[in-house]
Amino acid sequence: MIVTYNWLKEFVEFDLTPQSLAEVLTMLGLEVEGIRYLGEGLGDVVVAVVEEKLKHPNADKLSLCRVNNGREVLPIVCGAQNFKAGDKVALAQVGAVLPGDFRIKRSKIRGEESCGMLCSEKELGLAVESEGIMILPENLSLGVPLVEALGLKDTIFEIGLTPNRADCLSVVGIAREIAAKLGKKVTYPGHALNESSLPIRERAEVVVEDPDLCPRYTARYIYGCTVGPSPAWLVKRLEAVGMRSISNVVDVTNYVLMEYGHPLHAFDADLLAEGKIVVQRATEGERFTTLDGQERVLTASDLTIRDGEKGVALAGIMGGENSEIREETTNILLESAYFNPSAIRKTAKRLGLHTESSHRFERGADVEIVTRALDRAACLIAELSGGAVAEGIIDVYPQVIPSRTIRFRVERCGQLLGIVLTDDEARDIFDRLEFAVAKVEPGLLDVTVPSFRVDLEREIDLIEEVARLKGYDSIPVTMPLARVVSDRPTRRQQLERRLKDLMVGQGFNEIITFSFMAPAVLDRLLLAEDDTRRTHVRLRNPLVEEQSVMRTTLLPNLLETAARNLNFRTLNLRMFELRRAYLPVQGEELPREPLHLAGLLTGARYPEGWNQEKHQVDFYDAKGVVDAILDDFGIGPVVYRQEQPETYYHPGKACQISHCGEMLGSLGEIHPDVQGNFGIGQPVYYFELDFDKLAAVQRGKTSIEPPSRFPDTFRDVAMLVDDETPASAITDCIAGLKIKELERSEIFDLYKGSHVPEGMKSIAVRVRYRSNERTLTDEEVSSLHQRVIDNLVQKLDITIR
Amino acid sequence: MKEQLEGLLQAALKDVDATTSEEALQELRIKYLGKKGALTSIMKGLGSLSVEERPLIGQLANTIKDRLEARIDDALTHAREIKKRERLERERLDVTLPGRRLPRGTRHPITLVIDEVSEIFAGLGFQVAEGPEVELDFYNFEALNFPKDHPARDMQDTFFVDDSVLLRTHTSPVQVRTMLKHTPPVRIISPGTVYRCDSDATHSPMFHQIEGFMVDKGVTFGDLKGILTTFVTQYFGTDIGVRLRPSFFPFTEPSAEVDIACVMCRGKGCRVCKQSGWLEVLGAGMIDPEVYRHVGYDPEAVSGFAFGMGIERIAMLKYGIGDMRLLFDNDLRFLSQFRGECG
Repeated sequence: MIVTYNWLKEFVEFDLTPQSLAEVLTMLGLEVEGIRYLGEGLGDVVVAVVEEKLKHPNADKLSLCRVNNGREVLPIVCGAQNFKAGDKVALAQVGAVLPGDFRIKRSKIRGEESCGMLCSEKELGLAVESEGIMILPENLSLGVPLVEALGLKDTIFEIGLTPNRADCLSVVGIAREIAAKLGKKVTYPGHALNESSLPIRERAEVVVEDPDLCPRYTARYIYGCTVGPSPAWLVKRLEAVGMRSISNVVDVTNYVLMEYGHPLHAFDADLLAEGKIVVQRATEGERFTTLDGQERVLTASDLTIRDGEKGVALAGIMGGENSEIREETTNILLESAYFNPSAIRKTAKRLGLHTESSHRFERGADVEIVTRALDRAACLIAELSGGAVAEGIIDVYPQVIPSRTIRFRVERCGQLLGIVLTDDEARDIFDRLEFAVAKVEPGLLDVTVPSFRVDLEREIDLIEEVARLKGYDSIPVTMPLARVVSDRPTRRQQLERRLKDLMVGQGFNEIITFSFMAPAVLDRLLLAEDDTRRTHVRLRNPLVEEQSVMRTTLLPNLLETAARNLNFRTLNLRMFELRRAYLPVQGEELPREPLHLAGLLTGARYPEGWNQEKHQVDFYDAKGVVDAILDDFGIGPVVYRQEQPETYYHPGKACQISHCGEMLGSLGEIHPDVQGNFGIGQPVYYFELDFDKLAAVQRGKTSIEPPSRFPDTFRDVAMLVDDETPASAITDCIAGLKIKELERSEIFDLYKGSHVPEGMKSIAVRVRYRSNERTLTDEEVSSLHQRVIDNLVQKLDITIR
Repeated sequence: MKEQLEGLLQAALKDVDATTSEEALQELRIKYLGKKGALTSIMKGLGSLSVEERPLIGQLANTIKDRLEARIDDALTHAREIKKRERLERERLDVTLPGRRLPRGTRHPITLVIDEVSEIFAGLGFQVAEGPEVELDFYNFEALNFPKDHPARDMQDTFFVDDSVLLRTHTSPVQVRTMLKHTPPVRIISPGTVYRCDSDATHSPMFHQIEGFMVDKGVTFGDLKGILTTFVTQYFGTDIGVRLRPSFFPFTEPSAEVDIACVMCRGKGCRVCKQSGWLEVLGAGMIDPEVYRHVGYDPEAVSGFAFGMGIERIAMLKYGIGDMRLLFDNDLRFLSQFRGECG
């Protein structure tokens, strides 16, 4: 909503600077989002007269003028063509700084001196577009600042209104708020409406067929009008609030729209068949061309204004081409009605037709202001177009909408706000807001709200009004007296945080990507046609196809993020995302939203440096990270299975990760084809784990063993194994013996190559022995170790080296 | 023989004092005190002494031996110490060379803000709760007093899945879900991801909010001011001004926008605050009775407040980030700069 300082002053007296007024409005909940000062910086622009206009001797398109500013005659070079000697013009004098920080200097143009500039409206910031220089009315005195001469000085406020405040979509509405806050009264413009002796009934008739959608319809008839341009004051006002002048008649309806906030519509009465208005629902599929030239297809729930034969307006939204005011219009039927808000909203929304009119009707217009607005407009139209207003008004208002009375408990208000409020204070606030107050008993008021406050229905609405008018600033700051509740984070929240810390500690940067994905991206992952991740939540109104479904895996976003970073030559990446995937569940309205942990590594294992190893990360780096996570969560035993790897992994370098038969996730090197699909030119390692499953099987330690006080002894054993035998078979076999004194075993060497037969590998294991009770003798250790070796040889197809 | 012994002592002491290397000292020890050393060879003449003299000379020899041993040990200790010092001196490193580093990660700035804000509210007795992002219209709108076909719905451009399922446009549905599950007192903070069908330089289709609310007996608007003022001063600093001004949200009444004095210009007016001196950081208000009706609370018995803030905005203010899109580009050159932020 745009209002101007001067316009507001017509309705309420106040003595505030524009800045203070903005502050008052903002603190009332009418947020001033922008202030523009009209005529700012135009102090050195004055009214002047062109005494002589000659062709510039050295340029065809320029003229050389002698311009009188009332004090002296100055030489000025000008490029515009639209003026002649004798015209009054706007002269920017030397030293003036025009909008856009354009400083006027004495200069020489093609050899001729120029001491100032003749300005266009655009150059003065008075219009967005303009042609040629500004020609001023002849009666203006020379030398007077332009701003003064034209009454340009004003301040424009852009107010961001919340949708509940339909009453403030007008100058009057905002003036009412100022008056209420300052304890003043709003003065409404008087209008001397002279009706002629021609009764309106002889010229017009209104029938409302659907009063549920149009509770009230009023009209006046103005005849003998001459449609033409509007006077300057009207044009200027409309322009100030961002509206374009069209003609005197249309401008008046817009003026009153801004002034009272009530949308009006003027019909060319002679284009209305039978001089009749019928308010009725459209017929299904009816075609209707609105003022903007668009043909619209209507439904039976759209309300139309019709004449004796056809539709002439889309009620409350836009008029029709077939009945609009034209230059040759002489007789006018002026409509001021009240339409059902949700009906207007539905139609406007369906047609995508949002107008000043629909904006107000759908938020709730003032049913009682319709005749006042009608009279005000009729009066102005008659005045500006030379027409006469027929006698009487048509007012179809079969079922009067009753005013609302709300019971208000003064103490309750005080309790909720945390203030002490008296009956008198409450009453005073309501008085100022033009609410009618009746005291039921001490502490209890019946408050009748005016028809323009469609937002007030309940006691709480009145409590807000009290808070608003008293000022939120005046409510004391207190701390609540709260009952103690346990506020410890849940285990899941703790684990989530811990997991992030763990990832950061392992060198991973957390990323946050959009929860969307492109359905086609799953093809780039080579996912099978029947993969469950192809079942996803699809948006009905996505912004772009790339963001049209909710992701079922975090992988595509991580790959895209990796590709983007690699493109910027950040070649060593460790990144993770701990966010949700969205997995539809058969028969459920909402999908599951498990948290997934996805990690991606590529490039060098360690940061570059003079003393750093220069290895590239590989599968085992990724696995090491997963191991660390599972270890940290106390999850074990974990099975890494190479069968049926995900399609997007290198088939030989990937595995599924499970615990007690529960699949926790997968890990591997990204398939070279997938890598290529994402434009990545170096090996990338990835893992994705289901955090919810991790959290479910995570367990804290319940008992801790005291460490042995005796020394350990280790023995190494090297063996030749078939290449197909997984290393875990060896360690599992050793652990399976469950020897009490066997502390742990670890693989410390893996070798393939010379001295090892083709298809075999050499694995070396270090086995540590230690007792809790004593130092083990050499013989004891040797005997235990022999059992280990015997068992290996017996259970597995190995050769001890 | 006594003279011989004393002569030996003097000569030996002189030798020891003149020797600095460990090896030479060990040789001196052998020369004077070894099995074939000078002392032994003098003591070979012990048999020629009288019975009275023998113990005296023997005693003297022992004393001399002890003195010499002690002197050699001292000298050795000293020699080793010097040698060690020389070695340590030689081992001096160029400490300005970079250390051997392990890769180091960072939390995302949005996580940093969520964690810090949650922590402040945890200190005020608020517990973290979460809810689904693909949400029912009922929880996102209906139960929060956004009737169907109401202009208030225009405030939030919504991604729809179907007529009753949508992507939540705010974290407020968590209020409804929590209140349906728990009876007052409740104090909840709910960070989360939200979606709006809008994308340009200042709007992202996905962003984050933190919702908070409290319901108990006798909670007032003044208490709302108290809690939010506490939060703002703890997060942005004690000297930051706070103001509440009337606004509108369907699920709160009275409703307020909470402004803080511009953190860039400290309220003087600048480009960031559009010359107003204030920055809008929170929406808040007393929970509307209509919401209580949907969750079965008695608005006459309990009262409470709710508030919500945009995390991206807070992150941008806190870290001086000019373009919101940086937060979702996930450029590691950007993210790595958050090293050292505790959040």
